[in-house]
Amino acid sequence: DATSGSSSDCQPCPCPNTCSVVPRTREVGKRCELCDDGFFGDPLGQSGPVRTCRACKCSENIDPNAVGNCERETGECLKCIYNTDGFFCDRCRDGFYGNALAPAVGDKCKACSCSPLGTLGSQVSCSPVTGQCQCLSNVEERDCSACQPGFYNLQSGDGCDRCNCNPIGSTN
Amino acid sequence: PRPDVHPLPPGTHLLYAQSGRIEHVPLEGYEMKKDAGKAVLHLPEKVIIGVAYDCVEKMVYWTEITSPSISKASVQAGEPTAVITSDLDSPEGIAIDHLSRTMFWTDSVKDHIEVASLDGSQRRVIIDTDLVNPRAIVTDPPNGNLYWADWNREAPKIETSHMDGSNRRVLVKDDLSLPNGLTYDSQSSLLCWADAGTHKLECTHPSHGDRRKVIEGLQYPFGITSFGKNIYYTDWRRDAVVAVDRHAGKESDMYQPQKKTKIYGIATAYAQCPAGQNYCAVN
Repeated sequence: DATSGSSSDCQPCPCPNTCSVVPRTREVGKRCELCDDGFFGDPLGQSGPVRTCRACKCSENIDPNAVGNCERETGECLKCIYNTDGFFCDRCRDGFYGNALAPAVGDKCKACSCSPLGTLGSQVSCSPVTGQCQCLSNVEERDCSACQPGFYNLQSGDGCDRCNCNPIGSTN
Repeated sequence: PRPDVHPLPPGTHLLYAQSGRIEHVPLEGYEMKKDAGKAVLHLPEKVIIGVAYDCVEKMVYWTEITSPSISKASVQAGEPTAVITSDLDSPEGIAIDHLSRTMFWTDSVKDHIEVASLDGSQRRVIIDTDLVNPRAIVTDPPNGNLYWADWNREAPKIETSHMDGSNRRVLVKDDLSLPNGLTYDSQSSLLCWADAGTHKLECTHPSHGDRRKVIEGLQYPFGITSFGKNIYYTDWRRDAVVAVDRHAGKESDMYQPQKKTKIYGIATAYAQCPAGQNYCAVN
C-alpha cells in the first residue's frame, strides 16, 4: 500500500531468484513453496507445520536414476523396486514375500510361486512375511505343492484325497 | 504475455527443462549465449521431464509427471495446451516426426511406447513388450525410423523399429549401463547416446552397426541433443548444459543456469526444419 505514508509501504516481491542461500536444499516454485523432484516436504508450511525438503524416504528400494520417486509433499513412494510396495516401499508387493528391508537385494522379496493345483482359488498371493500360500484341504508345504501324509491326488485341483489303505496290508 | 516468460527470438536455440520451467539458451554458431538464457515457459507446479520441438509450427512439446500429461505451447510465448491427459503414468521421453505430424513417447511405469497425432488424436501403443525402464526416444523422419533406450539395470539396451513398431531390433546391448540420453542427427546419420553408468558418450551409424566412443568421463548425463558437430547434454551433477565437440572428442563449453536444480530433457529448436520428406507425409 503506497498511500499510507510510511517507509514500509512497499515490500519486496516474494519472488527470489534462487530459492535458498544454501544450495541443494531443493526448494522450487515461484515462492519456493515446493520441493524438487526426488524430495518431499512443505517448505512454507502451506498445509501444516513447516517441513523442509528432504530426499525421498523409500527404504533404499528406489532407483536414483528414476524420476518421480516420491510425491513431493507427502513423500509417498511411487516407484518402489525389488518387488516392494507401500508408502515407504517397506513391504513386499502382492504375490511376493520376505523382508523388504533386508540389506541385500537377494534377501528382499521373493515370488510366492503358489502351486496352482494345491492353492485355494488358484491364488497368486501368499502371507507377506512367511510366504505361506492358502492350501486346499489336506495339502501342505509353503507353496501348497504336496499332499499331507496319508493323502494323494494333488492333480485333482480340489485338494488331496485320503489314501484309504487297508491297515492290515500296508507297511505303515 | 507474462513478464517472466520470453518469446524465442529467431535463430537456433537449446530448449531444456529445469524443475517447472522450460528455458532456452540461444546458439550463436555452436556457442551457447549464456547471458541470453531465459525462461520460455513457467509451470511451477510441474516436473517436466522430456522436451521436443516441432520445427514446422514452432511449438515445444513436453512430458510432465506430477499430474502425468503431455502438453505443448508456441515458443513465441503461447499459452500451454494439454494434448494428452489420460492413461499416462510416468511419461518421460518424447519425440516428434515433423513430417508425418506425429509424436512418440515412452512411459516408464506402463513400460510401453505410444504414438499419436500432434493434437493427441489417433493414439496407439506400438511397443509393449520387453521394456523395463524406457526413457529416451528419438525419430529419424526421412527414413521412418524410431530409436529408443531402456536403462534397465539388468539388461540396458538401445532399440530401433519402424514408426509403426514393426521391424523391431536391438542395436546396442553390450557395455551399456544407464543410457539416459539419445539423439539422432539426420545430416550425419549418427545415433549417439549418453550413459550415466559408463560415463561415456558414444555413437553409431544404425545402418552400419559401427560403434565409436566420442568422450568418456561424463559426470551424470540425462538428456542429450545434437546440432551439427556438437552434442549438448544436461548434467544432473553439475546442474548444467554441457557442449561436446563430437569431432574433437572433448567438452568445449558449459552453461550453468543461476538456478541450482536438476536439468532434465533437452532439445534443439532449429531455425528451419531440416529438408526431407517421408512415406507417411505424402500418403
